Amino acid sequence: MSIKKITKQAFANFIDNLIKTATVYGVQPKGERFDFAPLASAKDLRLDYDVTLLPPKRFFQPTTETLLTFDGEGRYKSNFDNENFILLGVHPYDMVAINQMDKIFSKDYYDEHYMKRRNNATIIACDVLTPSENVFAASMGMATVSEGFDILLTDIGDGYVAEAGTEKGNALLAKAETTDANEKDLEKRQKLQQDNQKNLNKHKLKCKPSDIPNLLERAYKHPVWEEKAKTCFSCGSCNTVCPTCYCFNVQDSFNWDLKSGKRQRTWDGCLLDGFTKVAGEHEFRSNRADRFRHRFYRKGKYVPEKLNGQISCVGCGRCVGACLPDIANPVKVFNRLVDDLGLL
Amino acid sequence: MSNKPRVAVFDFACCEGCQLQIVNLEEEILDLIGAVDVVEWREAMSEQSSNYDVAIIEGSITRPEDEERLWLIRSRAKVLIALGACATIGGINKLKNNFDLRDVKKWVYGKDAEKPHLNTELTRSVAQVVKVDYLIHGCPIDRKEFTYIMRCILTGKKPEIPEWPVCVECKLKDNRCLWETGQTCLGPIIRAGCGARCPSSGFRCFGCRGYVNNPNINAAKDVIERYGLDVEVLKRKMNLFGSGNTQVTANG
Repeated sequence: MSIKKITKQAFANFIDNLIKTATVYGVQPKGERFDFAPLASAKDLRLDYDVTLLPPKRFFQPTTETLLTFDGEGRYKSNFDNENFILLGVHPYDMVAINQMDKIFSKDYYDEHYMKRRNNATIIACDVLTPSENVFAASMGMATVSEGFDILLTDIGDGYVAEAGTEKGNALLAKAETTDANEKDLEKRQKLQQDNQKNLNKHKLKCKPSDIPNLLERAYKHPVWEEKAKTCFSCGSCNTVCPTCYCFNVQDSFNWDLKSGKRQRTWDGCLLDGFTKVAGEHEFRSNRADRFRHRFYRKGKYVPEKLNGQISCVGCGRCVGACLPDIANPVKVFNRLVDDLGLL
Repeated sequence: MSNKPRVAVFDFACCEGCQLQIVNLEEEILDLIGAVDVVEWREAMSEQSSNYDVAIIEGSITRPEDEERLWLIRSRAKVLIALGACATIGGINKLKNNFDLRDVKKWVYGKDAEKPHLNTELTRSVAQVVKVDYLIHGCPIDRKEFTYIMRCILTGKKPEIPEWPVCVECKLKDNRCLWETGQTCLGPIIRAGCGARCPSSGFRCFGCRGYVNNPNINAAKDVIERYGLDVEVLKRKMNLFGSGNTQVTANG
């Protein structure tokens, strides 16, 4: 795959040309924060953003999607999104999360609805220029990324180093006016990436990410869950803003003929009251603290077991900022466990 | 006679704005009145009936004669639906429960306060008086939710009413948290289902859908302190829709 250098002006031309023929969702300001939104012009793009409000997972797993429609007489029609689109400005930690979700949605059961969108997508990632207030991706080893993207951009001041990660990225990059990246450009890129691997660390984890599963193995009855959950609203904000929370609910609803209808899938969250409610109103995690604990076990133990040990907290820090009572910070919880239980 | 369910709409103490939301269904109202026989609905038609399957009750219960009328409706209906905040949680009518009723009457009616036809008692929600099968929350109700619940009732399916707070829908709307802007938003303790309409327009949640089943009020107080705000402000804001009760559930 090629590694090119593209000037800022050539990049703006490249994006403005892309917009003419493709749907591009790029990072743009939303009030005082940032957000992925349909891009109308390269000048609206803000690749110097710190973090987006929601992670880009909603482009692959929409907050609500119709899986199928049924006619009430035994016939149904699956519903798929077939639109090609470009996601522009994905940060490395979010790219890692997408890589993880790709495995989750294709490994045991191939989820066609997710995978169709994923295969329709072209992802242009970019290295972080402005660390967000709560980012700790460096602690998780996810401050930079080496795979999953079609193109990775790194701002080196007078332009971008653009690395194609796939054939799709290569072909796309060929449409831009570029030169081969020289040694100096690559040095600048390496410097920025090395700095990020150190500096994207507003909350410092006291152990290696790979220590977390064992730590949790010994922490199921630790008082921290009960203590922190005392002020938990069960609002699920830590779930909704998390790039690796993918739980969903599926519901049927009828049209006015009271026969035909649709089956929809919506985001769900393990912190929410009723999340574990099943038929007969039986609920096996009705306790706030049990639900609070569960999220940490998902990120640090259960999901890693599906991902060859990779911890499924990428250190984006969104949950830290989204949690009003300030109890969601994974680093604080894991550090507390390290202090109390030690490392083996 | 058709075998469509016979539906009657009744109002008690309220502004009738929730009924107006039904009138305002636009093209969907044709679907609704095609699927049911509406036999009484004072806001939309002249006919009356004492024979109905489904009673939709709007408003809160504030007078002894209201209670009698509600019992009569309950005895006639197979299914009873509480429509809107006044019916589901007592609504803003419950504000008066914070004061001495004699003072309340004086403030509202002045020199006529003691006249017998202006008699009033503590406000109760419909569910505090009779068994309610379905609750349709909100001030006013959400039209989409109303038609969804009606279709669920007509098909015998249990409607999914969110048990979680407004924050869920607010986050899904990609909104910045209003607490970050200094607003004491009630979103974290109030039942979702409105699509976070107010916070999405920049206004804090006023709490019109009532508390979630298990609101963490103590956490709310902690957060107030953390943000350097006044807990009395929070209490006052909770009073608007939350006077005198923390939660209600439907029996159906």
